[in-house]
Amino acid sequence: MFGLLESGFQFFTWGNALMLIIGAVLIYLAIGKKMEPLLLLPIGFAIMLVNLPVGGLMDYEHEIKAKKSGIISQISVEEGNVFDKDATIVQADTGAIASPVFGRVKAIKVKKGQQVAAGDVVAVILTSQQTNQTEIPTKPIGLLAIFFSFGIMWQILPPLIFLCLGALTDFGPMLANPKTLLLGAAAQFGVYFAFFLSLLFGFSFNEAASIGIIGGAEGPTTIYVTAQLAPHIIGATAVACYSYMALVPLILPPVIKLLTTKKERGIYMKPTLRPVSKLEKILFPLVTTVIVILFVPASAPLIGCLMLGNLFRESGVVERLSNTAQTVFIDVMTIILTLAIGGTMVAENFLQVKTLLILVLGVISFASAAAAGVILAKIMNLFLKEKINPMIGGAGVSAVPMSARVVQVMGQQENKKNFLLMHAMGPNVAGAIGAAIAGGVFIGILG
Amino acid sequence: MVDMGLAVKIAGGGFGVVFFLLTILWFTIWLTKVVAEKITKIINK
Repeated sequence: MFGLLESGFQFFTWGNALMLIIGAVLIYLAIGKKMEPLLLLPIGFAIMLVNLPVGGLMDYEHEIKAKKSGIISQISVEEGNVFDKDATIVQADTGAIASPVFGRVKAIKVKKGQQVAAGDVVAVILTSQQTNQTEIPTKPIGLLAIFFSFGIMWQILPPLIFLCLGALTDFGPMLANPKTLLLGAAAQFGVYFAFFLSLLFGFSFNEAASIGIIGGAEGPTTIYVTAQLAPHIIGATAVACYSYMALVPLILPPVIKLLTTKKERGIYMKPTLRPVSKLEKILFPLVTTVIVILFVPASAPLIGCLMLGNLFRESGVVERLSNTAQTVFIDVMTIILTLAIGGTMVAENFLQVKTLLILVLGVISFASAAAAGVILAKIMNLFLKEKINPMIGGAGVSAVPMSARVVQVMGQQENKKNFLLMHAMGPNVAGAIGAAIAGGVFIGILG
Repeated sequence: MVDMGLAVKIAGGGFGVVFFLLTILWFTIWLTKVVAEKITKIINK
């Protein structure tokens, strides 16, 4: 029973043990290897928390109701016991009453021999499974389940993080060289390529869109899209996205080297860009908001917040709001978001062949996004008088500013005089806008 | 069975919209620059 003396040992499984190891590995990568520590450390810890049975941090309450009237002939699972998905909880003379999700019985509401009518509640169960709320409505009970439901499923946290990212982003390099927007657009090819591959591997349209958007390399966008289209795979897509963002220094160089010659990688670009006036920087978020949202209304929460944050930054009159968004506010949002994401990674949810496939498809999405950016840069060079270094196309994969830094380092290795950072920041931030638009398009079509 | 026709429409249409919008933004940035220069000139007069 749910008493003070109840321990988690009797419910601890090999799956939980494996998830504890995965959580510990993420924490090690964060502390030992400094890989995206702000994200991987809380995610890793949350994974450990939710895989300690009976802790209940990711519990949702669900009422099991009788579908037909009848007389209860047997109670199949006692209170406090665990059961698998589709397990019979109560047996009636008119048929079995099963649970559509895995979980643990909190309370049995009927007795043997009792008459029940269709729609009567026969049991209340606790589950950690993410469900489609229109088909299987659940009520969040655990702390992380509450964070997840009201922070992510209500679409609050990802747009607010976008607001903070807007306050942190300088669109100046892109405004100075707007043709780099095309490189950010080309990189979204990876999103659609992975979408196709996912469909071929048997994923549904909504799941495929959520996997594809990993290639946009924007954590909040991935979470926002997955929460709306396929919340049951949100743990895998979010972890894949954040992990690959951290692994950009390993993923990007081989893709770029495969598609470019040494001579191309050495193409010199002038280190200075044209100065962008303050007025241009103020007008950009206003105009972008109007145009993008008119064309893709579903992208309004992400683009609207991104541009509002940027207006905070560029206006110069709300320094307090801008500073808060860049520091304390983004930290608070990140803590809640990452704990909620880690919380979805309960063994029964995460340890599936699907998860492994999502991780593989995610890296393909990333690599093909970078490849498409590089290829378009090479095509653009056929028409441009002043050639661009095709490596900056690889930064169209977003993952701001990591991919731009990787391009800068690679540029220096090929040509010591080359400073590509500012040039790569153009496609880099364009990629972030492109990913938000791609996500909005998916939600507009499939949501 | 996956409806590949629909998949092609979603992927092609989606990629097209992203490309089209970012191209529009390119044009908008150019327009913004021109407008900003005009406004600055007027203010400086």
